[in-house]
Amino acid sequence: MNNLSSRQRKLIYLVVIILLVIPIIWLGRPTSGTGSEMDQGKLAQLRVRYDLGENQMGQVDPTSAAMNLVLLGFRGIAADLLWAQADENEQTKNWAELRANVDAIILLQPHFVRVWQFQGWNLAYNVSAAWDLVADRFYWVKEGAKFLKKGRAINEKIAQLPYEEGRVLGTKIGRADEWKFYRAFFKKDPNEELFKGGADPELNPKGTDNYLAAKDVYLVANDLQQKYPQSVSMLDVLFRSYPYRSQINYADALQREGHFDESSQTAWEESYREWVEKFGQEKFYGPAGSYHLEMTERDMQEAAEGQNADVDEYTRWVLRMQNETRYPYWKFRSQAESAKLMVDAHRLIYDGERQFVKGNLSTARDLLFRGMTLYEQLFSKYQVLATDDEALEEAITAVYYWQRILKLEFKPIQAQYPLSVVYANHANLLPQIESRFKRETGQD
Amino acid sequence: MQFDVVPYDLVQGVSTWLKVMLACGVLVLIASFAASLGFGLRGPAKVFWQLVGAVKDISELSARRIWALAMLTAREAIRRKALLVFGVFALLFMFGSWFLSTPGEKADIQIQRHVVFVFTAISWLVLPVVLMLACWGIPEDIKARSMHTVVTKPVRRIEIVLGRMLGFSMIATLIVAVMSVAGYIWIDRQVTKDAHAQLLCKVPIYGKLSFLDRQGQPATAGINVGDVWTFRSYIEGSTKATAIWDFDRLSDASLMPISSKEQGETRGLRVQTSFESFRTHKGVINSGLLCQLTLVNPKTNLRVPLPAFEVAEYRGDANVTAIPASPTYYDSEARKNKTVDLVKDLIADGQLRIEARCLNGEQFLGMARPDMFIRTPDRPFAVGFFKAVGGVWLQALVVVMIGVAASCFLKGPVATLMTFCVLIVGMSFRGLIDKIVSGDQLGGGPTESIYRMVTHLNQTVDLDLSGTVTKTIKGSDWVAQQGIWLVQQTFPNFQYFGMSPYVAKGFDVDFRAAIIPSIAVALAYFVPCVLLGYFALKLRELESK
Repeated sequence: MNNLSSRQRKLIYLVVIILLVIPIIWLGRPTSGTGSEMDQGKLAQLRVRYDLGENQMGQVDPTSAAMNLVLLGFRGIAADLLWAQADENEQTKNWAELRANVDAIILLQPHFVRVWQFQGWNLAYNVSAAWDLVADRFYWVKEGAKFLKKGRAINEKIAQLPYEEGRVLGTKIGRADEWKFYRAFFKKDPNEELFKGGADPELNPKGTDNYLAAKDVYLVANDLQQKYPQSVSMLDVLFRSYPYRSQINYADALQREGHFDESSQTAWEESYREWVEKFGQEKFYGPAGSYHLEMTERDMQEAAEGQNADVDEYTRWVLRMQNETRYPYWKFRSQAESAKLMVDAHRLIYDGERQFVKGNLSTARDLLFRGMTLYEQLFSKYQVLATDDEALEEAITAVYYWQRILKLEFKPIQAQYPLSVVYANHANLLPQIESRFKRETGQD
Repeated sequence: MQFDVVPYDLVQGVSTWLKVMLACGVLVLIASFAASLGFGLRGPAKVFWQLVGAVKDISELSARRIWALAMLTAREAIRRKALLVFGVFALLFMFGSWFLSTPGEKADIQIQRHVVFVFTAISWLVLPVVLMLACWGIPEDIKARSMHTVVTKPVRRIEIVLGRMLGFSMIATLIVAVMSVAGYIWIDRQVTKDAHAQLLCKVPIYGKLSFLDRQGQPATAGINVGDVWTFRSYIEGSTKATAIWDFDRLSDASLMPISSKEQGETRGLRVQTSFESFRTHKGVINSGLLCQLTLVNPKTNLRVPLPAFEVAEYRGDANVTAIPASPTYYDSEARKNKTVDLVKDLIADGQLRIEARCLNGEQFLGMARPDMFIRTPDRPFAVGFFKAVGGVWLQALVVVMIGVAASCFLKGPVATLMTFCVLIVGMSFRGLIDKIVSGDQLGGGPTESIYRMVTHLNQTVDLDLSGTVTKTIKGSDWVAQQGIWLVQQTFPNFQYFGMSPYVAKGFDVDFRAAIIPSIAVALAYFVPCVLLGYFALKLRELESK
C-alpha cells in the first residue's frame, strides 16, 4: 500500500493526534474558576459570557447531569418515550408511575422551562381534579407546587417558574371550589402523622396564609425579571402586579372566611399602601416613554413633556395600562374595604348566610336585609362598585338567600327592596349563585 | 388493581402449542425432504437417518456431560466478566434513593416507586447481560476453534446446546438471586416507617362481575362517563343501577379473624373495594360518595344490606368492609333488626353474591372486575416479591434459550439483533400486534396505512377510493395480517413475566394468571429452541466462521 515503515506511520499518527489535540484544548479547556479568559477554553469563555453554563442556570443536579451524559445523543428519544408513558399513566390513573416518569423527564430536560410549567400545572390542576377526596386533591396541588419549586431551584434565573408556583399557591389553593379546605390545609396539613398538625414545611415553612406565601414567591419572580431582563408570558405591568394582588387577595380571603376584625382591616390597609406606594411607583417603559401607574392626568402631561413625548399618546398608553391592571379599581377597593360601612355590610351578609345554614331563619332574614340596605348605600356612594363582579356577586347572593328565607316562611317578596334594581340588572349571575348556594347549604 | 387478573387457560395453551409445534414440524419435514431431493433419492434417506440420529442423541443424553458443559459455560461467562454487572447494580442502588425519595409522599406511591425501580433495574441489567452471553458464546467458540475440540470429544451436539443453556441459566440465576435479595433489603430499608405497614401481599379472591342498568335490567356493562380509559364502567347513584359480583368456592374455612365495628374481634370476611368516583356536580365536597354493599344468597335471595361507606378513591386499603360471621341488619319489611349466619344463610353451595350501589343522586361509581375482592389473610411482602423475581428469572431463561438457539445458526451480532428484536417485540409491541391482527387498529393494515400516510388521510376517515381499489387494499392487508398472526404466535408473550405490578400494588402474584403462564411460556420455548439449536449445530459447517 505504501512504503512507510511502522515507526514512520506511528510518528505520523502522533503528529496528527497533536494537531487534533491543539484545537480541542483551545476549544474545550474547562473553566479555571479564576475568571480570567486566558485560563479557560473558548467554549468555557462563551458559556460564561452568555450565561449558558449548567451551574449558571441554577443548582446542578448530579443525577440529571450523569443521565444526560450516559444517554449521549438519545436524550430526546428517551424524553419523548417518557412523555408518552406519562400520558398513558395519567389516562390509566397510574399515579405513582406518572410521578416517577415526570421526575425522569425533568432529569433529562432540567432547563426546558415549558416542561416544568406544563407538568407543574398538570399535577396541581389535572391530576388533583382526578382524585375525589379533598385531602387527596390537596396532596396533588402540593405536588404541583413542589415540582415548580424544584424547577425554580434548577432554573434560578427564570421568572416564569416562581410566577407559576405563586399561581398554584395563591389562585389554586385560594380560589378552587375547595378553597376553604385548601386554605386550612395549607396551614395545617391533613397528613397529621407526618406534619404533626402543622404546615408542610417544604411549601410553607413559616406556616403562613397561602396568599402571603404566594406573594413571597411572586416577589421572587419580580426580582428575577428585574435582575435578568426576560420575556414573560404577559405584559410586564401585569406580571409585576401579582405580589400586590396577592396581598389584596389575602385581605379579601380573610373577609370571605368571616374575619371582619382588625386583621382584615390591617390587611386591606397594607394592600392599599403596597398597591399605591410600591406597585403604583414602579417605573415601567412604554412606546411613549417611562411611566408609573400612580399618575393623574396632570402628572401624565408633565411627564410626557419632560420626556419630549406626544402627550396624547403618552396619556393613552398610561391609561391603557392602568386599565389593564385595573389600577384605579383596586386602589379604590382596598381603600373602601377598610371603611366601616363596607366592613359592616360584609359582616351582616356573612352572618346572615351562616344563620341561614344553622336554620335561624328570622335572624338570618334580619341580618341579610340590613346588609342589603348597607350595600345599596355603598352602590350609591361608590359608582365603581357597579362594575365589580365580586361586589355584585356578594350583593346578589345576599338577595338570593333573603328571598329563599321568605319563600320558606311563605312570605311574599315585595316589588321594591334594597338592591332590587341591582338584582334585576344582573340576573345572569343567578345560575352560579344557585350552584354555590346548593354546595354550601346542601339544599336544592 | 389497574388490570384484570384473568386465569390462564392451560389446556388451551397446551393444545395451541401442540398444534403450532405439529404444524411447524410438518412444514420443516416437508421442506427438508423437498430440499433433499436435490441429492437424488439418497437425499430423503439422509434426512431420515438424521432424524433417527436425533432420536438416538436425545435418548442417550448424559446428565454428567451436560453438567460438565454447563460448568464450563458458566466459568467462561465469569471469565468474560459477566459479573461486573453487580458493580452497575450497586451504583444504581447507592444513588437510587437520591431521586426516588420525596418527603411527605403517599405510602402507596412510595412503595410503588421503589418496587418498580428495583424490578426495572434487575430486568434492565440481567436481560442484556444474558442476551449477550447467550448470543456470543457458540459463535466465539467456533471462531476460536474451541468448539472443534469439544465436538471431537464424546459429546453430542444436543448436549452442547443444553449445556450452554444450562450454564447461562446458572449465571442468570446467580445474578437474579443476588440482585433480588439486595433489592428486597434495599426496599425494606428505603421505605419510610409509616409506609412499612403497607409492605405486604394481599391475597384476593375475585368474583364474576355483571351489571344492572338504572331500570334494574341486566346490562353488559355500566355507563361510559367519557373516560378515555374504558377499564371501568359506571353505575348511577340513587337508581337501580347495580354492580353484582358472584363469588364461589367459599366456605366456613374462608372466614378469618376480623375486627368489626359492631362485634369487635370476631371471625368473618374482609371485602375490599377500589371504586372510582365520578361526580356530575360537586355535591358535598369534603365527603366521598356513598356506596352500599348488599350480601345476597343466590339461591334463596336473602338480602342483607351492609352499612353504607364513603368511597375513598385510589386509597387501596382504606375501603375494607369487615363482614362478621353473624351480620346484623335492619329488615325493612319486618321493621326490626335481624341477625343471620353468613355461612349457613348467605353462602349457598360455596356461592355468595355481593351487590354494590351508589347512594348519591346524579353521581356515579366506576368499577371493574378486580375492584371488589374477598381479602384472605395477607402474606409477607417477601412472598410476592420473590414470586415476581421468579418472573424476571423465567424471562432471562427464555432469552438464554432463544439466544443460544439463534447463535447455533447465526453469527454473534446477528444472533444478538434477532434475540433483541424478539425481546422488544414480545415486551413492547404485543398490544399493537394484537390490535393489528384483530383489526382493531385504526388506519388498517400496512397497505392502507401507507396510502393514508402518503395522502395525509386521517385514520378515522373512510377510504376515498372506488370499491375495487378499497377491496384490493383490504385484501392485501388481510394477507399481511395472517403473516403478522403467524409472527404473533411465534414470538413469546413476555408480558406474562412482568409480575412487578402485582407487588407494586401490594398484591400477591396470582398463581393462575401470572405464574402458570410464565412457566408455560418458558417450557413451550424450551423444546423448539433445543431442537432448533441441535439441528442447526449438527448441520452446520463448523469451518464456516
